[in-house]
This record gives sequence, structure tokens and C-alpha cells, in this order.
Amino acid sequence: MTARPSTIFLAAVTALVAVLLYSPLFVPIVSSFFTVAHGEVVWSSPTVAAYVSLAGNKEILTALRATLIVGACTVLLSVGGGTLLALYYHGRRSGRGALQFIIFLPFLMPPIISGLALLIFFREVGLERSLLTVVIGHTVFVLAIVYRTVLTRLQSLSRSLVEASYDLGATGWQTFWRVLMPNLSSAMAGGAILAFALSFDETMITILVTGTQSTLPVRLWAMMRLGFSPDINALVALILIFTVLLCVLAARVLIPKQVATAAH
Amino acid sequence: MSGRDSLLLLRRSGLPGRRQGPSMNEKSDLLTLRSVSKSYGAVPVLHDVNLAIRDGEFLTVLGPSGSGKTTVLRLIGGLEPMTSGEIRLDGQDISRMPINRRPFNTVFQDYALFPHLTVAGNVGYGLSVRHVPRKEIARRVAEALELVQLGSFAKRYPTQLSGGQRQRVALARALICRPRLILLDEPLAALDLELRRQMQEFLKSIQREIKTTFLFVTHDQEEAIGMSDRICVMQAGRIRQLGTPHELYYKPNCEFVARFFGENNLVPGTLGQVQGELRSIDTALGRLICSVAGQPHLKNAPEGACAFAMFRPEALHVSEVHDGKNHFSGKIVDVAFAGSSTVAIIAVGEDRSAPRLRMRLPSRFSGSALSASETVALSFAPREAHLVLS
Repeated sequence: MTARPSTIFLAAVTALVAVLLYSPLFVPIVSSFFTVAHGEVVWSSPTVAAYVSLAGNKEILTALRATLIVGACTVLLSVGGGTLLALYYHGRRSGRGALQFIIFLPFLMPPIISGLALLIFFREVGLERSLLTVVIGHTVFVLAIVYRTVLTRLQSLSRSLVEASYDLGATGWQTFWRVLMPNLSSAMAGGAILAFALSFDETMITILVTGTQSTLPVRLWAMMRLGFSPDINALVALILIFTVLLCVLAARVLIPKQVATAAH
Repeated sequence: MSGRDSLLLLRRSGLPGRRQGPSMNEKSDLLTLRSVSKSYGAVPVLHDVNLAIRDGEFLTVLGPSGSGKTTVLRLIGGLEPMTSGEIRLDGQDISRMPINRRPFNTVFQDYALFPHLTVAGNVGYGLSVRHVPRKEIARRVAEALELVQLGSFAKRYPTQLSGGQRQRVALARALICRPRLILLDEPLAALDLELRRQMQEFLKSIQREIKTTFLFVTHDQEEAIGMSDRICVMQAGRIRQLGTPHELYYKPNCEFVARFFGENNLVPGTLGQVQGELRSIDTALGRLICSVAGQPHLKNAPEGACAFAMFRPEALHVSEVHDGKNHFSGKIVDVAFAGSSTVAIIAVGEDRSAPRLRMRLPSRFSGSALSASETVALSFAPREAHLVLS
């Protein structure tokens, strides 16, 4: 079978768009394996020197540690809070519409606005800027993602599952732990991964509300103002690979289960 | 171990087969509903429902969609609160008993099997939440699965089962807790016809064996006739009639039941005189004689009251012999072969508004003796005809 001209045309356009849009993403990865001299990439000498110097960069490692701490705390808070809020919304309780609007607001607002609002708030209540304020800022921002992921799963579960559990003699607590949680866990895991990925990359809010410690993207931002170094390429490459891995993981956690529930 | 053996085991260990109180013969009321009403906001769905469920019976709640039949089941199960009225179990008010303390279990329309648990996990759930020792759970799960003939499926997940198998898992899960009453909410609605027939027989045989009371909700009157000891017909949130399938089929107490319950011929008219167990009614077919045996309200209804003469399609037959009762002639409009039987549609009189009757005859290989547009003499026996007040 020969391809029709329209098919070939479509394929060509798709390829062109893909190359134009996404190839810049791979430039730092490629160039991180070469030396840079006088602002130019020397293609003749492949090296991992950039990675070695990155590993020895104390500031980067400190920033990485801060990022991981912030990410872990954000994940804990947003998964716990997002699940509770989704359960509240699903329970058809009062004020659910307004609540949902408020949850989505920080996610939809420009980050600089959210960041400024938080900054002003923290100053008003006298909360010193630190990693704690960063965690709060990130949680407010990513809560919507976890909430939505868990709520979607909750809504796809048949109401009769919970009814069946009560009907068979389970208490509310048993129903929560034995029926709801196992069926929500993969959605919570998927939400957690997405929350971590968002927290990991978040820059704007972090710059505004952080104290003396900086997270990895903020560190990167600072490094860039001093000019490009191979370290930056290496760091960008690592972050990029890590984010892609997280997204693949999130997709794997989230999708198969949904197929299973649909088949049921 | 065969299903039969496991049944014996169930009995010996005092599973649902055990009955308390009165003996088999004098069936006592297990559960009574008194003036039960239910509204969703301002929308009433049940009006003043009174119902007594007898211990050990197979009672079907039958009605078209929106008749409130599922609501009755959900109120009994405790899945929803009543607006008013009370529910008594063995004479004790359980209206406020929470769902997880009621000794009833439900087979849901969508089965509601827990997708994250195996078949064994699903069936054992009711025992495990009550902290029954693990060994006993394993033993009783095995028994229950044998009973529903799914012994080898214990380790499968619900998604790996067919519709009929899921149905049986749901049943095993409901009966393992030895409930006083099993509530079944249109459990066969999702199955195809052949499987539905099998499951009807299966359900009935299990009910007979374990002798637990079944409350079965359906909109399928054929299903109801085939399975039930008694049927409760509902319409628009009210119980219209409660009785054995035979009573409902031959002595419906209102036009709704007469029309809803199987094919029927209803001819409107005005009541005439009573002669013993028979009463005449004047209709477009002439004066018809119908039985009023055992129906004092029809015997005592005033002359001239509006009513229907009712006779089933299988009661009508072609007859040249004229004995003066329930005899008339009609023109065959259509003859339809329906497998084991053949249905003829008959117009009586030339008028367009003239009554149309259905006659059902056993089919013969040689074909029907009737053909369309033929005029035939028809009659039915007075004892096969009944009256329904309109």
C-alpha cells in the first residue's frame, strides 16, 4: 500500500513542527557533554567534566537538598489536603462550589500574583521567609492538581461500592481504609508525582517567598545571570531527564488503573 | 466437594438455613413496613406503604421504573432514611438502626464488587470487618463459593469474571453473613436473556436450599411470575396489589395490575346482576358472564358500576357450539407465530373503536387453522373470566 500525498504532507508538517518546537530542549543535553571555550561549544572534545564539576558544586548540592525537602513536604501536605478536600466535595456538603473555586484559583492565577499575595500575607502575619514559607507557597499552588486527580477517581467509583461496604457491616472508618483508600491510592500516587514535579520546577513563587536558602531552579536562575557555564547545561539536562522520568512514572501509575475501572 | 455437599455443611454449621421462632408451616412476619413514606425534597416517591414480609418467602417487588420499588429496598436496607413510618424486624422497631447493624445484605444492581479485592476477598469482606478469625473466614468463604459453584475462582479479580459469575460472587458475599433477609436490586437486569433464565432458576434453587427470605426487585413481570412466592405490584409510589402470582394473574384488583401483569383482554362495561358465583356485565361484546368467586367486593359492587370484563388470551377460543354464554363473533386482523404459541388479533364489530382482543393458541407444525380477515365464532368459559373495577 502506498501512502497518499495528504498523509505524506501531514507527516512532513508534523515532523517539522516537532523539530522546531522540541529540538531546543535537547540542545543543553547534547552540549552538556562538550567543553565550552570563549562562549562557544567545542564539538571536537566530548567530556563529562561539566557533570563532575556540578557534583562538586556545594551551592548546587545545597540547593538540591532544599528542593528535595520542599518537594517532599509539599507532596505530603498537598496529597493529604487534596484528598480530604476531594472527599469533602464528593460528599455533597455545603459550600463545595466556592471551595472548589478557591482551590483552583492559585493554580490558574499568574504565579507572580500568587507569589506576591503570599509574600504580603507572610509579612502581615509576621512569618519569617524560609523553606517553610516556600512549602506553604508550593502547597497552595499544587493542591489543585492532587485535588482534581483524586476527585476524578472518586467520581469514577460507583457509589454502590461504599454502600456495599456499609451493607456488609463495615464502619465508616473501615470503609475508608478498606474500600476508598485502595481505590484512590493510585490516583493519590499519580497526584503526588505531579505535585512533586511541579514543586521541583517552581521558580516564580519560590523567588518571592524564599528566605536565604534557594531551591534548584532559583539557583539556576542566579547562575544564569553570571553567564553560561557548562554546569548550567549539565544541570538543565539532569532536571529535564528527571522531569521526563517523573511524567512517565505518573502516566504509568495513573493510566492502567483507569482502564481497569472503565472495564469494570 | 459438590454444591450439594457444601449446602449440607452450611446447614450443619447453622448458616442461613437456621430459622428462629415458629415452625415452617405457620409463616410469621419477618419484617413489617408501617405507613412508610419517602420524599426527595418536595418530590414524594413513596406514599404510605404497608407491607409484611414473611419469614422464608421469596417476595418480589414489581413495578415499572419510577414506581418506588428500589426505594422500598433501599429503605429496608438502611441505605436511605425514611421520611416517615416505621420498619419492624421480629416486631422490634429498626427504623433508626444504622445500615451496618441491620441483619440484611444487598445484591446490588451493578454488583458493587470491590475491584481491588479477589473473589475470596470480596466474599469474606463482611466477616473480616467483623473480625471473624481468619481460619473461619477461609472456611466459610470456601463454602459460600461452593454454594454458588465458583469454588475454583477464589483468587480471580472481579474484572476477570463474566457477568453471571460476578452476579454469583455478589450473591455469595451477601449470604455469607447469614442475613435474615437478602435484598436483590434488579440483579439480573444486566444479563442477556439465556443467562437470565439460568440465573433465575439458580437464585430460586439457592433460596429454596438456604431458606433465607429474599426480597427481589424487578420490572420484569415474567421474571416475577417465575420466581416468587408472592408479588407486590407497585405503581407511582403505592402498592397496588400483593398476592401470589396466580392471584395477580387471574384476580387483579385494578386496571393497572390487569394491564401490567401479562397479556390481557379488558373489555369495559357496566355491572349487571349476581347469580351465585357469577355476575353479568354489559359490554360492546354483548352481555358477558364472569366469575366473582372469592371476590366479595365485586359481588357487592352496585349494579351499573363501571368495570372491565377480563379474560386472558389463552382463555379465548374458537367455538361454533352456542350455549348462550360469552359467545360472540369477530374478524381476525392478524395472526402472529410466536414459537410455542400463535397469537391472533381479533376485531369485534366494524367500528374503529371496537374492542380488539388477543387470542393465544398452541402452535402446530401444520400451521394455524386461522387466517387474517376470516370471521370466526368465539367464546370463553365464565370461570376463566373475571371482573376488574375501573
